[in-house]
Amino acid sequence: MSAPSIPNLLSLRGGATGRGRGRGRGPSAGPGSASAPTSSGRHDATIQGTDNDAAVSRTSAVELGYLSDPFAAAFSDSRGQRRLPIINRGTYTRTTAIDILVNHFLSSTDSSKPRQIVSLGAGTDTRSCRVFTSPENHSNISYHEIDFPTIISRKKQTILSHPLPSRVLSPTQSDDTSESISTTFHHRSVPGNTLTLHALDLRDLTPSHSPLLSLSPSYPTLLLSECCLCYLPLPSNHSLLSFFSSFSSLGLVIYEPILPNDAFGKMMVSNLAARGITMPTLSAYPTPTDQEKRLHEIPGGGLKEARSKTIDQIWEGWVSDDEKERVNSLEGGLDEVEEWRLLAGHYIVAWGWRGEGWDLDVDGGRLKPPSGPGTPTR
Amino acid sequence: MSDLDRAIAQLRACRPIPEAEVRELCHKARELLIEEGNVVTVNAPVTICGDIHGQFHDLMELFRVGGDVPDTNYLFMGDFVDRGFYSLESFLLLLCLKVRYPDRMTLIRGNHESRQITTVYGFYDECLRKYGSANVWRYCCDVFDYLALGAIVLGASNTLDTPKSGPLAAAPGEKIEVEVRNADRQIISRFLRKPPNNGHNGNVNGMSATTTGVSSSESANGPPTNTGPPGSGASGSSGGSVGNPAGAVLCVHGGLSPLIDMVDKIRLLDRKQEVPHEGAMCDLLWSDPDEIDGWGLSPRGAGFLFGADIVKVFNHRNDLSLIARAHQLVMEGFKEMFDASIVTVWSAPNYCYRCGNVAAILELTEDDSGLGVLSRSNGEVGRSDGGMGDRQRGVLMDTDPLGYGEGPARRYRVFQAAPQDSRGMPAKKPVADYFL
Repeated sequence: MSAPSIPNLLSLRGGATGRGRGRGRGPSAGPGSASAPTSSGRHDATIQGTDNDAAVSRTSAVELGYLSDPFAAAFSDSRGQRRLPIINRGTYTRTTAIDILVNHFLSSTDSSKPRQIVSLGAGTDTRSCRVFTSPENHSNISYHEIDFPTIISRKKQTILSHPLPSRVLSPTQSDDTSESISTTFHHRSVPGNTLTLHALDLRDLTPSHSPLLSLSPSYPTLLLSECCLCYLPLPSNHSLLSFFSSFSSLGLVIYEPILPNDAFGKMMVSNLAARGITMPTLSAYPTPTDQEKRLHEIPGGGLKEARSKTIDQIWEGWVSDDEKERVNSLEGGLDEVEEWRLLAGHYIVAWGWRGEGWDLDVDGGRLKPPSGPGTPTR
Repeated sequence: MSDLDRAIAQLRACRPIPEAEVRELCHKARELLIEEGNVVTVNAPVTICGDIHGQFHDLMELFRVGGDVPDTNYLFMGDFVDRGFYSLESFLLLLCLKVRYPDRMTLIRGNHESRQITTVYGFYDECLRKYGSANVWRYCCDVFDYLALGAIVLGASNTLDTPKSGPLAAAPGEKIEVEVRNADRQIISRFLRKPPNNGHNGNVNGMSATTTGVSSSESANGPPTNTGPPGSGASGSSGGSVGNPAGAVLCVHGGLSPLIDMVDKIRLLDRKQEVPHEGAMCDLLWSDPDEIDGWGLSPRGAGFLFGADIVKVFNHRNDLSLIARAHQLVMEGFKEMFDASIVTVWSAPNYCYRCGNVAAILELTEDDSGLGVLSRSNGEVGRSDGGMGDRQRGVLMDTDPLGYGEGPARRYRVFQAAPQDSRGMPAKKPVADYFL
């Protein structure tokens, strides 16, 4: 989770301060995770801080009724920080898009056998709990989250102590030793579902971690990178993805910004740099075509199929008219449509897959009622 | 009015004025605005500005580029507040300038000058943060209710002045219709006036050719068709503008309304209220032009989309040569549409500290006869020379005595976002939101 001192560190560098809606998380943030004054330590802390940003956005979207997510408040203490409608709509659209893809994965793979979902840099993300409690009653899900140790230990604590997640998940005694980097929880009502948290710097992920991660290359596996791979240096990107090259049945969903070279994109790069954030993937995969090519050309085994849609396109194409109307009514609609197209056009969901008997071919969007885009987790 | 000048100086330094002063200022402003009609008449020269959105430092840059008040006459087309971090200082400064120089500042209402919108988009929170109570927000909202809904600009020249010699001089016979300049006053591009359309045979005496500030549309009690030859407003297959000879410019924040076919109908609205969710007043502040036929539903959920046919019919019927409006982000700062019958002016550079766009202001220069376009369309060619010996213009006037097809000449000044720490004003580097 985020370090409380990030804004101060940045202001020392002449960058952004903690001013503005939703920055900073108040006095309750974790212990000195940003204590390393080295530039890489500072960068790590900044990147970890982006999770707080996402948490604030998630909580804002939930509190205002965009998303239904009872777990958001449990995993983040960022209540009461309202985002602007354009951000709330973006948070809604991104979450809905990934929900649709995850649901499609779970519906199209054989539910009588184990399926793996691996969320990279999951942070305070609530998707595991939402998937376990979704009306589809998905089973045989082995859900994995990998993130920095400070973030994982806090999440572990939340699951154990907060009434809501602890009602869904129960700790497994056996592997919860202090030496282990992994902790597994069982879904209380569907024992086949597990959540395993791995305290691991993704840059250190090598094939030797395989046993620790308790991942099986033979199960259908869906990798999620919701603004995660974009922060990693390209060599780490490659080595991380090549870790999964032996997985015969693999899907990958990436959500991150694109188009760094137009006026908006240049400003985005410079604004993020002022906050100490760099995104190597932005220049490496600047366009939707590049993003799809990236999926085809994963080191050690590219994905057969690749698709992509911008957040703008997903809002237009995957969100039903009724749902659009509902979302628009929450805050009276957007005041600026051009700005939305600009911002939402600079974020992409790119996804691809390989494997037999299942697919992620959801170009048509609107899937399988009752779990339409509007009520992904109810 | 030394108190007022002091308040202006303080606000120019981006420092809020005390609550009691805000209250007094808003009271004075209301007394002034209550006397204005729903559609204010403004004489050229005037500099027309679009959305500001609380980007105070960029407003200062706008004044630097466009000239300071009261040396330059300004017409701001609304959306002073919300989004940026200095809505309060921006709006109060503009209001102070309005009270101090009422004839040189025109402020009309944008869709963000509303209680409901400002509670969502930042101005309310900003007032609360800076004063600890919502009083100042309330005072400002009361002023919002009195802002005019539109303005009519009269007496704009249909050509831009150029130096007699040097690199910026125009060639003999050339009339500059559009000029784009950067913040350093350098010319980025120029567009010459297209040769006039043929076949016009106007009854110019049917126009209200006066310089007393009475526009043809204001005096249009009779059938509107008597103000110009049929078709002159809609013969727009040429790239040039196809405005009516009256040359009036309507300024409004958003656009047109299906409920408003005549400018006079705007004058009949009861504007002194919160912006309604629907109806003519709402449409004027919310609508957008779009590449469609007729009217369409707006993706904003308020107002309408309207196409070229709507604009051309409206302009013809109301003797307008141009509609200037704001309301929509344009990356280049301005955007002319529908054969230059409508233009969007956007004056918030790098909108929300995030969009990377440039901003623009639109200068309409005074017809240098001093008598306005209207008198010239009476055919009084000699007067426009004004003893200046401007033979080129005289020649052109002879060949085009009625000025048909000539909307006002437009000079756009394009500028970029000001550095936030510029000119010693307090500024915190704003954090733009992204999805992380």
